[in-house]
Amino acid sequence: MTTDMPDLEEYRNAVRAWLEGNLERRPDAEAGRRGSEDKTPGEIAESRVLQRKLFDSGYAGISYPRAYGGQGLTPSHERVFREESRRYKVPDFGGAGHVMFGAIGRSMLAHGSPEFLQRYIAPLLKGEELWCQFYSEPEAGSDLAGIRTRAVRDGDHWVITGSKIWSTGAHHADYAMCLARTDWGAPKHRGLTWFAIPTHAPGVTVRPIRQINGQTGFCESFLDDVAVAGDAVIGEVNQGWSVAQTMLVYERGAGESGGLVEPRNLAPDLVALARKAGRADDPVVRQALARAHINDYAQFHLGRRIVARLQLSDRPEAAIAAYGKLAAGTLSPIRARIGIEVGGAEALVWAGEDAETAARPAVGYLNGRMASIAAGTNEMQRNGIGERVLGLPREPSFDSRKPFSEVMRDARTWDGRVG
Amino acid sequence: MDDNLTADQRMLADASARFAEQEYPMEAVRRRTYDTDGRFASSYQRGAGQLGWYSLLVPEELGGGSVSGNGVADAAVIGYQRGRLLQPGPFVGTNVVAHALAVAGSEEQRAKVLPALIAGESLAAWAVTPPPGQPAVNGAVLATPAGGGYRLSGRCTLVEDPGPGGWVLVTAASEQGPSQFLLPAETSGLACEPVESLDITRRYVELRLDGADVAGSALVGEAGQAAAAIEEQLAVASALLAAESVGAMDQDFTMVLQYAKDRIAFGRPIGSFQAVKHVLADTSLFLEMSKAIAKAAADRVGEHDGYGPQAASMAKAFVGDCGIDLAQNCLQIFGGIGFTWEHDQHLYLRRLTTDAAVFGDPAWHREWLCQLSGV
Repeated sequence: MTTDMPDLEEYRNAVRAWLEGNLERRPDAEAGRRGSEDKTPGEIAESRVLQRKLFDSGYAGISYPRAYGGQGLTPSHERVFREESRRYKVPDFGGAGHVMFGAIGRSMLAHGSPEFLQRYIAPLLKGEELWCQFYSEPEAGSDLAGIRTRAVRDGDHWVITGSKIWSTGAHHADYAMCLARTDWGAPKHRGLTWFAIPTHAPGVTVRPIRQINGQTGFCESFLDDVAVAGDAVIGEVNQGWSVAQTMLVYERGAGESGGLVEPRNLAPDLVALARKAGRADDPVVRQALARAHINDYAQFHLGRRIVARLQLSDRPEAAIAAYGKLAAGTLSPIRARIGIEVGGAEALVWAGEDAETAARPAVGYLNGRMASIAAGTNEMQRNGIGERVLGLPREPSFDSRKPFSEVMRDARTWDGRVG
Repeated sequence: MDDNLTADQRMLADASARFAEQEYPMEAVRRRTYDTDGRFASSYQRGAGQLGWYSLLVPEELGGGSVSGNGVADAAVIGYQRGRLLQPGPFVGTNVVAHALAVAGSEEQRAKVLPALIAGESLAAWAVTPPPGQPAVNGAVLATPAGGGYRLSGRCTLVEDPGPGGWVLVTAASEQGPSQFLLPAETSGLACEPVESLDITRRYVELRLDGADVAGSALVGEAGQAAAAIEEQLAVASALLAAESVGAMDQDFTMVLQYAKDRIAFGRPIGSFQAVKHVLADTSLFLEMSKAIAKAAADRVGEHDGYGPQAASMAKAFVGDCGIDLAQNCLQIFGGIGFTWEHDQHLYLRRLTTDAAVFGDPAWHREWLCQLSGV
C-alpha cells in the first residue's frame, strides 16, 4: 500500500494543477464558506455532475479504500484537497454532504459486507446515489436505542414500518440508512438492525420540516410496510447498536472544525451591532461584549485542551469530547442573546437592501439554540461527562436488561417503585 | 492545569506540590501558622526560594532563569500547585516586583533587593494601580515633587502583607503620569496596617501613605513614565493569580467529586442523581475552560506576543467568576457539612471570592479588555 502513496507536497501540486485546469473558481467572498443546509433540486443536480467529475479524476473518496472506488490515501491527503479546493466550485450537498461521506459512508465501510460495499460505495462516491440517515424518531431522540420502527422478516424480504425524523437532506437522497427494531424480545440495545432503504420505494414518504428559522434541511419520513431485500442489511442482524456507535463517533468528528485561529478580535459582529445601535459606550453593553469575547476565547482554548488531552492519553477518553459540545450548547444561546441585547431595536427589525446582513443577529438568535439540542442535548452531554469522564455512579436503569416489549409496557404503568 | 508540561516543568510542579504538602498542609492552613509564627514564615519562604519560586521572571544574568523559556508559564505551574493547597504569602506580588526590577530597576535595586527576593529572604507586595484613565482598583496614591524627592499620599487596600523586611512597589499618579516607587515596608510615613479579611488563608494589609517623603532613588523606571510597565505588571499579576485560583478550584472540585461518590442518600450515592451529576458536569466544564484560558494567558504573557494583556484580563475575569460559581456549587453539593468551620470548603470559598477581587475584579477586567481592544 505504501508504494504508491504520494508525498503530501507532491499531491498538493497535482491537486492544484488539476483544480486550475478543471474546476471553475468562485468569488473570493464565497471561498471556503460552508453552504447552507437548504439546497434547491437544481443545485443538487449540479453537485451530482461535479461529484462525478471528481470521481472520474480520482478526487472522490480520497481516503476511502480503492477496492470500493476510493483512492486509498490518508485523511491528510483529503485535507490537502479540501484546503486547495476552497476557492473552487466543488460539489456542495449542504449538511447532507457531511453526513453522507462522513458518518454514513464510514460506518458502512466499518460494518458492511464486502458484497454490500461493492454494490453501494462507488455509486455514492460518483454522486449517483445520495444517502441520508433514518435514525432518530419522533419518540426516540436522546434515547436513541429506544427505536420503535419495526422490521419483520417475510420470506427473503424485510417489511419495515415506522417513522423517522431529523434526516438531513432526505428529500434529495436516493437511499436511507435506516435503524429498525428486529427483535422485541431482546433488551433494547440488542434487537436493532440497520437497513439500506431506497427513498423512492413504495411506502416511503419524505417531507421537509420547516425549522424555526424558516429554512428546511431536515426531513421527517414515514415508512408504511416498506419491503426491502434480505441483502439490504448493513452489518449483522440484531447487532445494529455497534454500528450506531461507530456512526456517532463520526458524527461528532464531522462537527469538529479544524484549523481554527485563536479569536483576537473582540466579537466583531456584536461590536458592529452595538455601534450601529449607538450603544458602544454604554457600560452595560460593554460588559456584555467583553463577556461574549471572553467566552469565545475560553471556548477556543477548551478545544485545544481537548485535542491535547486526546492525543496525550494512552487510552483515548473519547468522552471528553463532550466538553466541546456542552460548551457550544451552553454558550451559543448566551452569545445569541447578547446580540439581541446589545443591538436593541436594530437587531429585531430590518428592511431594504442590506436586509440579509441586518437580519443576521435575529437569525443567529434562532440558530443559537441548535447546538444545545442537535446531536445530543446538553443533558445527554452532562450525563456522559458525569459518568464517563468524572466517574460518577450511573443512573438507575429500568430498560437495559429486560425485553424491550416489557420496557414499553412497564413505562406506561410507571409508579417509581422499582425493585 | 496543563497536561502538556515539559520535563523540567513537571519536576518543578512535583517539587512544589511536595513542598506544599510537607511544609504547609491543610492543618497548618487552618492554624494560620504562617501568619502567627514569624520564624516559620521565613523558613517557608527560604525553602520556596530554593525551589525557584521567585526566580522565573528574572533573566539569568540577574540571577534568575526560567525552566522552559517562558517564565510566566513556569510560574503559573507553581501558582496552580500553590492554589490547590491554599499556600500563603505574596507569591504573585513578589514575582511581579522581581519582574519589575529586572526590567526597570536601578543598579542599586537590582544589586540590593532583587537577590533577596529571588532567595525568598524578602518578599514584596504589588500595590495595584490601574493604567492611566482607568477606574481605581482598591485605592489610589498621589505623588508630588518635594525637596528633591517625592511626597506620597493615598491608600491602597487588599494588599498581601510582604512581612517583616519586605518591600512594596507603589504606583502613584503625578502630573506627568504614573511613577513607580520601591519602598521598604518599614518606611516612615508608610503604614502597612493589618486588616481582617474574608480570606483567612492569606494575610492582607492596608497601605496608607500619609505624606511619606521618599528619595528619587526609590523610583523604578523614569518618573511619570510607568504606564506601559503597569500594563505589563497587571498582565503578569492577572495571569499568575488566575493560575492560583484554578489550582484552588481544581482541589475544591476534586473534594466534592469524591463526596458525591461516597455520600449515600435515598439508597444511592448522591452522585447518581441527575440533579447532582449535572451540576458537577457543568462545574467541571467551566473548570476545564478555566484551566484552558489560564494556560493561554500565561503562555501569551510570557511569549510577549502582543496579545498578553488581553489574554490575561480575559483569564482574570473568566476564572474570577467561575471560581466563585464553583465554590458555591461545591458548597451546595456538600450540603450542611460545607457550612461548618471544620470542613475545608469555606476556606476555598473565601480564597476564591477574594482572588476574584484582587488586582481588579471581573467587571473591571472586562472594561479594560474593551479598551485594549479598541472598543
